[in-house]
Amino acid sequence: MTDKGDLPNPARDGAESAAAGAPEAAAPLTGPTTAAPQTPLDSAPVDSIEFERGAGPILTQEGKSQGQIVWEQFRRHKAALVGGWILVFMYLSAIFAGFLAPYGINEYRRSPSAAFRPPTQVHWTDPDTGRLTRPFVYDVVEARDPITRQRVYEEVTDVRYPIKFLVHRPSQPYKILGLFKSDLHLFGVDDPARVFLWGTNNLGKDLFSRVLYGGQVSLTIGILAVWVAFFLGLLLGGIAGYYGGLVDDIIMRLVEVFAAIPGLFLLIVLASLLRDPANPLAKAFGLQMTSAQTFLLTVVVLGFVGWGGLARVIRSLILSARELDYAAAAKALGAGESRILWRHLLPSTASYVIVDLTLSIPGFILAETGLSFLGLGPSELDTASWGLLLRDATARGISIQFVPWLLIPGIPILFAVLCWNLLGDGLRDAFDPKKRR
Amino acid sequence: MFVYILRRLFQLIPTFIGATMLMFLISQLVPGDFFKAKELEPNVRPETIQRMRAEFGLDKPVYVQYVNWMKNLVTGNLGQSFVSNQPVWQRIARPMRNSMYLAILSIILLWLVSIPAGVYSAVRQYSFGDQAVSVVSYLGLATPNFFLAQVIILALFLTRTLTKDWFGFNQLIFPVAGMTSSNYLSLSPWAQFWDVMWHMFIPSLVVATSGMAGFTRVLRAQMIEYLGSDFIRTARAKGVGHTKVTYKHALRPAIIPFVAGIGNLLPSLVGGAGLVEVVMSWPGITPTFLTALQSQDIYVVLGLLVITTLLLMAGNLISDLLLAAVDPRIRYN
Repeated sequence: MTDKGDLPNPARDGAESAAAGAPEAAAPLTGPTTAAPQTPLDSAPVDSIEFERGAGPILTQEGKSQGQIVWEQFRRHKAALVGGWILVFMYLSAIFAGFLAPYGINEYRRSPSAAFRPPTQVHWTDPDTGRLTRPFVYDVVEARDPITRQRVYEEVTDVRYPIKFLVHRPSQPYKILGLFKSDLHLFGVDDPARVFLWGTNNLGKDLFSRVLYGGQVSLTIGILAVWVAFFLGLLLGGIAGYYGGLVDDIIMRLVEVFAAIPGLFLLIVLASLLRDPANPLAKAFGLQMTSAQTFLLTVVVLGFVGWGGLARVIRSLILSARELDYAAAAKALGAGESRILWRHLLPSTASYVIVDLTLSIPGFILAETGLSFLGLGPSELDTASWGLLLRDATARGISIQFVPWLLIPGIPILFAVLCWNLLGDGLRDAFDPKKRR
Repeated sequence: MFVYILRRLFQLIPTFIGATMLMFLISQLVPGDFFKAKELEPNVRPETIQRMRAEFGLDKPVYVQYVNWMKNLVTGNLGQSFVSNQPVWQRIARPMRNSMYLAILSIILLWLVSIPAGVYSAVRQYSFGDQAVSVVSYLGLATPNFFLAQVIILALFLTRTLTKDWFGFNQLIFPVAGMTSSNYLSLSPWAQFWDVMWHMFIPSLVVATSGMAGFTRVLRAQMIEYLGSDFIRTARAKGVGHTKVTYKHALRPAIIPFVAGIGNLLPSLVGGAGLVEVVMSWPGITPTFLTALQSQDIYVVLGLLVITTLLLMAGNLISDLLLAAVDPRIRYN
């Protein structure tokens, strides 16, 4: 690997330079990929790179596209890669939640109840011979500790229930991506035994299955809300930045108004008032507040509260980009205003926007779990969300030291947010020409 | 400077009016009103409900209600709580005070931990300690506050089990809920103070962690930038010692954004603890807000929104002014 890839490319750092109002970004990458004069940049401090860039177009010999360069840079960012892979794993497990989860999202047994079961012990060795064997579980009966009156669970060691793989459970069908119907589950045990890898909640619902299903809500809501915020921010920020004047004033005042109200309270008020099916808006649209509708409502509310910052950033990027030569050139060539806005100015903000979007997803995930934790997120009827699952742990009359497994849903939240942050930081570094390695 | 402040204050007025309009509009999303539920009670006569509605002005059109509410607001009257039938201000003063206590302690903790951590990781860049700080920061950013509070509560209970087994000490090291002990009223003022502090420690620690992560990372980046700049090299060339260079020459400019950020802490003084207050049953502003919302006590909700909004706007203004005051490079004209 030579230092070719390290050369600053004038065309690829549009957003950052544009944000700083630097004129270099205007120098277009034109001409054939001839060998440009190469300067020993390794020894040069950062400042002189800026200078070299201004001196004229420095072309890489291979003429890599920005995408290739960014991808190359990104691949070297180990933490971001790990974060990315963990996210892929998490999203896959959310997609295939129905298959991976042994039980349904709301499946529970009335009698005998399996409430507050600790994680089921899976036995790997034969208790008689001590040898490795096919993993199995015992059925468990509930009893009360005679002194503390706490629930205790005892294994009935008479019958072993081996863990079976790829079992059909016609009573618990599911759909993958809403398309493929199936009742095949990765693993399960025969009745009356149960395998609760992460224990159960107060009704005896399997936490492992619910965490998997919860990922479907908690992982997608962040992304969807970002798109809502992005759409609003792009539209309003773009318009404000491009047209300026009175339009700009009005939109920016609106952003200020939104920024002035504390976000958490605004979120709580909107979420709690809108989710009531009797509220005027729901009536006007004929909403019944099914779980799908509360899900969408949460997305819209999150995006609605979060668009301001994005709009402000896009506006400032466009304000500076508008003054650049290529916008003037497009205008001189007779391009209409909307064409300049959509085809020339907004794409130049792309790299910044990608990074900003990635880095705002974790915030939305956290906000969603917070709302769900208060019971103001997607409704509990036939969805789960990690925040909602954590709510079980603070329900009235629960002492967490006896049911510590109820805190497990917090761990995937932590991982999801952590990995999105790592991914976003990696992308930011990859797009930043100053941080090229 | 004075002109600048005046201009900024004038600019705040339309924003504030816009914000109150938005709030009031949102409050109209409430299905029915507080007295709707009363209509179902057989022992309340319809005329009484009508009279009460008229008393609160709820029978008037929305814009009249808004204008009346604004008129009162300007004179400092936030209205009357439906539920407790006392002025909103009385209803929310105590929770605001409690939240403020929490926020002040958490800010102190934040600074106590973050400044040394940020300075250390900048000075010892890429060392084990720096990487540890960075990992903890990432984890801190990723953990929802309410989850951290739950985990700490669990840890406290587990510690109690351990201390009971080992030392026969069957007490929680820190309380897990509330603001005062049950014998609070019988304590001396000094003991009362320590009792509240004792209850405050865990929630404010949790609140502080979320800020610590960002604070430490930004301080580290700032410090690295300044440590590499020319005036530091000059200082070192003159023979200034390492400690003095770090703390006097580099830390001072690096800390400027945080000094200015004090203004931004103002809103968090009342609203920042958020869900931690819910988890740890701290009688602060967020639980009050949620209760008021649930009981459709709309003027209490609006009152809290208005106060926190005012504080947020004032905080932003103060930050900008402080920034100008501490940073000689910034000039306002």
